[in-house]
Amino acid sequence: MLEMFQYDFMQRAFLAGIIIATLASLSGTFVVLKRYSMISETLAHSALVGVAVGLVAGYNPLWMAVAVALLSAWIIEYLRSTFTIYSDAILAILLSGSLAVAIIIVSLGGAFNNSLFSYLFGSILSVSKEDLIVISVVGTLSLALLLFYSRELYFIAYDEEVAQVRGIQVKMLNFLLVSVVAVIIALSIRVVGSLLIGALMVIPTVAALQYRVGFVKTIFISLLIALFSVIAGMTLSFYFSLPSGATIVLCVICIFIISLVSNKR
Amino acid sequence: MSLNFRVPIFDVKNLSFKVRGQEILSDISLEIFNGEYIAIIGPNGGGKTTLIRMLLGLETPTSGEIKLYGKKLKNFKEWHKIGYVPQRASLVDESFPATVLDIVNMGRVSKRSIFSSMDKNDTSAVEDAMKKMDIVALKDKMVGTLSGGQRQRVMIARALASKPEILILDEPNTGVDMRSQKNFYALLSKLNKEENITIVFITHDIGVIADDIARLFTINQKATICNDPKKALSCEDMSALYGIEAHLIHNHKHEH
Repeated sequence: MLEMFQYDFMQRAFLAGIIIATLASLSGTFVVLKRYSMISETLAHSALVGVAVGLVAGYNPLWMAVAVALLSAWIIEYLRSTFTIYSDAILAILLSGSLAVAIIIVSLGGAFNNSLFSYLFGSILSVSKEDLIVISVVGTLSLALLLFYSRELYFIAYDEEVAQVRGIQVKMLNFLLVSVVAVIIALSIRVVGSLLIGALMVIPTVAALQYRVGFVKTIFISLLIALFSVIAGMTLSFYFSLPSGATIVLCVICIFIISLVSNKR
Repeated sequence: MSLNFRVPIFDVKNLSFKVRGQEILSDISLEIFNGEYIAIIGPNGGGKTTLIRMLLGLETPTSGEIKLYGKKLKNFKEWHKIGYVPQRASLVDESFPATVLDIVNMGRVSKRSIFSSMDKNDTSAVEDAMKKMDIVALKDKMVGTLSGGQRQRVMIARALASKPEILILDEPNTGVDMRSQKNFYALLSKLNKEENITIVFITHDIGVIADDIARLFTINQKATICNDPKKALSCEDMSALYGIEAHLIHNHKHEH
């Protein structure tokens, strides 16, 4: 088991994976409770536009992914709060739109190669020292914001209007939540891949909800499931030469099925 | 400013609300004073809920002015003084991960200053609210497993946890059985008399609470204010307001 930690890249991958599992499951809890699960998929595809620009123009793709995902999150939240369009339709439009833009940028720039592939499906080999620093610093900041406002966000998820009457800055906090989610998703695509990060964000919470416990316990169960899936997924991917992102997602889906069956009423 | 001058909690002047040219509420003026128990009745679609939503800043009036404790609505900051229990309060999403305590704790959210933890004041306010609503024993139960009547008490406890001076309830009886409803009315009356909490209550059960309430507002696009609700029950205005429903209300009253 410890053999894999002899490699620097595995140490980095595990550290990055643990940070991302924590962030994805915690932010995912609020996203799921707000019935907003699809936003993670859309933002993951928007982040790809950033990656494409980064690859073609020679900037750090991770920073570019963060920037574009943030922009996209703000556009979504603005459209959702200003116009009476169905919010799932907005998500669908932005998802396919940004994927189209990403593909055109990459194909014009001639960067259709392994590098892009690793952002689509995640690759533990590709986590650099610089990536790890970015993930830790920005991740800690996001975590602090989520914890600071966790009770407000929980109230908003339960009943947005009553929260507003209670004097909570609902609009500001909705923007904050989508911003934090955008950053977390952009950071995660190195490890899990943009096509798979949505699963890591949403499934641990949905699995935790099957246990029908209170808020704090639900968050802890979701966190445990995410951590276990990432660690188990990475270990399996190392020993059986499997793609890391896909292995992690299959692990979390297995736990979801177990949670579903064992809590059946 | 003279201290003798009685400032109303809500001071509403010439309020109108239009949606796509259609008038929902027109020229509503009313005042709500500290310690009052006010019932709002009117037919469905008559604008009761819209009025309440405008009072709470959830809907913007087309014209007119709302003052809350003497301040314009957008300048009002002391929202902890207002307790709100919305229409569908007792119809909770059964899979939402919330214990009774989780829900009542929400009532304290915006009062804390730094970090998400609750201090002693918060905990005692939450316990106090649960005691008043008689739900202490349900503290760790999941809200989704409770009966309609129990959920209703949880939602009121959440509103009470912020120690409000006024409680606004919008037909909170959906999904609640008759016996729980009666207990509920007794409880509201007690809060009004013993705790001096002002109560504004949208309801259809006017016959049941007629003895408790101080004033009655009937809302059907326009507002009629009855200062003697017992009289109002027999007045012709009621038939005009409800049409055939007026008879139903009278029958309803005789049943009890």
